Amino acid sequence: MRWRSVVAFPLAIAALATLSLYRETMGFPLFYLGVLTSVLFWTTQATSWNILSGYSGYFSFGQAAYVGVGAYTTAVLYGRHGVNFYLTIPVAAVLCALLAAAIGGLAFRLRSLRGEIFALLTLAVPFILAALARINSTIDGGQGIILAVPPFPAGLGLFQDFLYLISLLLAGAAVWVAYAIQHSRFGWALSAIRDAEDVAEGLGVATFRYKMLAIVASGAIGGVGGSIYALQIGFVTVESVFSLTVPLFVIVMSVLGGRSHWLGPVIGAGLVVLLQDRLSASGLESWRLIVLGAALAVLVVIAPDGLYHRLRAQPWLALAAFAVVTGALWTSGVWGVPLDWILLGALAGAVASIWPRRPRASAPAPAPAVAEPTGTPPAAAGGVLVEARNVAKYFGGVRALADVTLTVREGELVGLVGPNGSGKTTLVSLLAGTLRPTRGSIQVAGRDISGLSPHRVAHAGVARTYQIPRPFGSMTVRDNVAIALMFGRQPLPLAQARRAAEQHIAFVGLSHLAGALPTALNLHQRQLLEIARALATSPRVLLLDEALAGLNPAEIDSAVEVIRRIQRSGTAVVIVEHLLRVVNQLATRVVVLDRGTCLADGDPKTVMSQPEVIRAYLGKRAHA
Amino acid sequence: MTTLQAALSGALIGGLYALMAAGLSVTWGVLRVINLAHFAMILLGAYLTFEIASSWRIDPILTVAVTAPAMFVAGATLQWTFDRLRIAEFTSLLLSFGLLIVAVQVVSNIWSADFQRMTGSVNPYATRSVSLGRLVFPVTTLLAFAFAAVLIAGAHLVMRRTFVGRAMRAFAQDRTIAAAFGIDHGRIGPLVAGCAGASAAIAGMLFALSNALTPATAYEWFGIVFAVVILGGIGHVVGTLAAGVLVGVLSGVVSVLVSPAAAPFVLFSTIVLALLLRPQGLFTAGGTR
Amino acid sequence: MRFTRSRALTALAAALLAVAATGCESKSSGGGAAPQASGAPIVVGSTLSLSGAFAATGMIHKIAGEEFVDRLNAAGGLLGRPVKWVVRDDESDQAKVATLYEQLISQDKVDLIIGPYATPNILSAMAVAARHGYVMPQHTAVIAPLLTYPCQFPAWSLGPTPNEFVPNQLFDAVASLPSPPKRVAIVTNQNGSTDFVSYGSGNNKTGMVSIARQRGLDLVLEVRYPPTTTDWAPLAARIRDAKPDLLINDGLGVDPVNLLQAMAQLNYKPPMMFSLFPSPGPPLGLGATAEGLLSVTIFEPNKPTLDKLGAEATEIVNEFKTRATAAKLPYTVFETQAAASWNAWEILVAGVKGAGSLDQKAICDKLHADGADTTFSGHLTFDPAKNNFWETTSAIKQIQNGDWVTVWPADRAAAQLRPPAS
Repeated sequence: MRWRSVVAFPLAIAALATLSLYRETMGFPLFYLGVLTSVLFWTTQATSWNILSGYSGYFSFGQAAYVGVGAYTTAVLYGRHGVNFYLTIPVAAVLCALLAAAIGGLAFRLRSLRGEIFALLTLAVPFILAALARINSTIDGGQGIILAVPPFPAGLGLFQDFLYLISLLLAGAAVWVAYAIQHSRFGWALSAIRDAEDVAEGLGVATFRYKMLAIVASGAIGGVGGSIYALQIGFVTVESVFSLTVPLFVIVMSVLGGRSHWLGPVIGAGLVVLLQDRLSASGLESWRLIVLGAALAVLVVIAPDGLYHRLRAQPWLALAAFAVVTGALWTSGVWGVPLDWILLGALAGAVASIWPRRPRASAPAPAPAVAEPTGTPPAAAGGVLVEARNVAKYFGGVRALADVTLTVREGELVGLVGPNGSGKTTLVSLLAGTLRPTRGSIQVAGRDISGLSPHRVAHAGVARTYQIPRPFGSMTVRDNVAIALMFGRQPLPLAQARRAAEQHIAFVGLSHLAGALPTALNLHQRQLLEIARALATSPRVLLLDEALAGLNPAEIDSAVEVIRRIQRSGTAVVIVEHLLRVVNQLATRVVVLDRGTCLADGDPKTVMSQPEVIRAYLGKRAHA
Repeated sequence: MTTLQAALSGALIGGLYALMAAGLSVTWGVLRVINLAHFAMILLGAYLTFEIASSWRIDPILTVAVTAPAMFVAGATLQWTFDRLRIAEFTSLLLSFGLLIVAVQVVSNIWSADFQRMTGSVNPYATRSVSLGRLVFPVTTLLAFAFAAVLIAGAHLVMRRTFVGRAMRAFAQDRTIAAAFGIDHGRIGPLVAGCAGASAAIAGMLFALSNALTPATAYEWFGIVFAVVILGGIGHVVGTLAAGVLVGVLSGVVSVLVSPAAAPFVLFSTIVLALLLRPQGLFTAGGTR
Repeated sequence: MRFTRSRALTALAAALLAVAATGCESKSSGGGAAPQASGAPIVVGSTLSLSGAFAATGMIHKIAGEEFVDRLNAAGGLLGRPVKWVVRDDESDQAKVATLYEQLISQDKVDLIIGPYATPNILSAMAVAARHGYVMPQHTAVIAPLLTYPCQFPAWSLGPTPNEFVPNQLFDAVASLPSPPKRVAIVTNQNGSTDFVSYGSGNNKTGMVSIARQRGLDLVLEVRYPPTTTDWAPLAARIRDAKPDLLINDGLGVDPVNLLQAMAQLNYKPPMMFSLFPSPGPPLGLGATAEGLLSVTIFEPNKPTLDKLGAEATEIVNEFKTRATAAKLPYTVFETQAAASWNAWEILVAGVKGAGSLDQKAICDKLHADGADTTFSGHLTFDPAKNNFWETTSAIKQIQNGDWVTVWPADRAAAQLRPPAS
């Protein structure tokens, strides 16, 4: 954790606290505390949502579940049974964490549950909880629960002060947690999950564990927020806490502010609360939702990554716009109250930052320096690394593989060939642990991997690339490779991982693009990135799934060089390939698959001249 | 007997749920767009039916002659906008959600948040029913089911038998290849969305026949409609009809046998189970999406 | 190309914001008319549900309040000063109520406050009022046990124990019929107020259900339904099969309309039906289906009642009708809700006049000591031991010939309670 956060966060919280503690001395209007308290409540909820949904990409529509359970916990324990209010807060956190764990445990276990299905699942949860509360009317006596003001230190002032301070502490803690997560391995794992979950798993990221941690953190924070919320509204009923308003506003705020950064929810909450407050204070209540809805619709299109990134890109412009507008309104004093001026200034700043600009032409990349291949002859085939025995894979009634036995030894470069639909990619997926065999066993370095999750298979020493490259879109080339080093068999911290990544990038000849984003790379470069990333896991066996697809002849030659280098460095390689000339150039051994069975296995020249192989590839009448 | 009655009423109402859900399901399945503004179109359809029938004193069913084309245009325009802006699946959810919020507020500003209901003189269907022995079938729900069955059967036939339908299915499976075969994105998208909009208008009219309208109703439909879409299988219209009937029957029977408060609990728990065990829907052939 | 589109959209966004900003120039909508009394206005602050679920009734209170303030100012204002009413829209959202009342009291520094509409909102507002020590007359919360703040003054009282009063009054009324009902069905909305009347609260479990049993009536059906019910057919079917003589729907809003319609679709109508807190307008639109429906009221503008109360009452009722029609309200009759609103304002004015100042404590004490005089409910006394809930003047009303008419008890009735048509 950077030293800055250790000092900066408490400082910021203390500064904001003085607004209440020294309110009377400073003449700070009490009403502003009310607005700030609202901002703090929504910051907490939006941050709670963002930790799971923004960082990992699993959109949740069920934030109301945490607010509801948190509010009810405090209402029932404190309001109905007189338990100490401060004790109810950790209880709420624990209950919500358990709820989140249950949801996550169910939803994340099932690999088919991605994206919008998860969103709808979470939408159902508050409905279920609300129905439960109604069915069992002994929980709230059927009529809702009133909460009195709990005892708080007299020196703090009024109830509004107390509410503000406790909300401030909570929001501060929540934002700090989001900050800490973002700058830690945990945060990187979540980013990788968001960008390409399967790939991340294949690189060794324990996706289930990290998603569970994220949802539990999200739940606990949301629950504590709900606790305080109960106090604020004073009277808790099913309708008031399990409503659809909370998840909708939370999503709007995080999307507006920026989902991938801890400051995003803060900005979003601040702007939306202020806007809503000023609109209602001006008697324009009927416009509030129209403005909010329209803002969401427009911003989702022009600035889908949120305001934070735009503000970060042009901070001075935004600040200038803010200063000019607010200053002008203040000095002219023509209409409105300070809050109005601040709001309009903020809006001006936001619009200025999202106003589209022409992209600056980037300097052309220098020509790549080709790393000279070091000359060591290929090692003789050594010990058995991967052994697939009598493996079969059925998809429903479709037989993809039937009784395939394949051995890969140290130092080998195995070419896996066959016509389309012969089961090559299926076999690769089985070896990488992405799929489980219907029958048969697969052993890597002596260990049976049939029951292991993909990230453990990665740790066991198998890495694969994808035919269509899937880089982590939000990270630079260097960071893409660094992820593999952070979560590999011997995990490294970020800084070291980045340094070590340089090696692997140089190996494939991408050093000149180390700081670029994947969108700036062409297909060939992206395939090289795939390879570099896979290599960074220090695999014993590298599975290259049609790594040469879509390349022109010059690019193919360059890729072949890289593959040769890989083999020389001691890693066994299995390449799935259609280009027979490449297979002949590189492979020490060729395995031919046809309609799920193994036709031939052996020396390239011999195998390729076998009649069954020719027939399978070219039909009966062709010649070799 | 009461249970049977509740089950039958539920099955009929399920037709209405299915009709509401069908448009959303098809645009999601074929166009990969989650259009929350669909609820806005149902709401507008309902309010327009109310307004036109009450002001011009015509039979509420006839109002679809106006509302269906209007919502067709609305749906098509929206889809055209999505295409121009190249909106992806998730972004469409957020964008259409923003539009839904605006629409609900506009409806509230025009018609007030009060409950609006067509009076007996305007809407003769509200209290009529057809009896079969001890079992009674309210006319409004019979109409809803009839419309739903006809429209959904029609949609199914179109998808299976006509060129346009096959084009849609090809488009759903692989847009680029479909384009290579001459299926124009620019036309298919708005066409499908327009039909979904028209179906929303009809669903809205049917809803207005038997319910009081208030703007917030649009949000109350979320739960049931998404339940039906998921259970029926995204993009499968016949599955949607079956799921609608299932949801209606389940709610009705649970209301009678246990208690009305238990119905949402059972319903949403069923959805959770279905999502976990069979996310492709209960009424589709096996296989992953 | 991309940038042109984005620019257009950004321009649109800026335009929208500009519209919002120009809109911002108008300040908060007040309800007060041009003052005729002199001096700085006394500002009364409150929120009402002008949008959202409770908006229908919220509007009634807005119009009643505006009418009251106009009349008050025309008659010289309060303490010689004009009165200005600032009302904010709480959008039927409980969380906003607390924030808005804080805003009114702490920032806008209003002189007086009056309560919002609907029980949950009133309870939230009460918490804020209690924190600042403001007197709060409120017009519609009747769950007496929950209203514990001593300076909260109810304008509509069903007595300190509505869960005992309402059932007993109802059963007394129907007992007076030539053939009183023996079989009763009770279906209850799980909302707080209605649930309270059916089942009591906390340790006091007395309610419609227990009193029905106590009186030897045959409880043939007892169901609780959630406020979010949309499919009424199953419930209607169960009621039909239970064959009650009297259907008691402790529900609110459009529940009775939904029930009656669902039952009509099954070709069934219960011989007698009672609904606790219905929206008054919608049942009248059902015609014969709703004929004979019973409910509670504190005031109906029936001719005999108005004649008893005098010319001023009649004037108020007619003026309300004019304003409500102009505001396009679906139901323009000045009845229980509007009368409760009127009571609330009269309580506030009585307290201020009695105390001779705007000091909250003095007002509160004065109201406890002397009570308040109201046009539509007579003299009210406030006993803190009973949470200020005065002995009720609540009565029973019935739809007769398409209109609500007070029918019980005899001394307040404008017509006879009609038995079921046989």
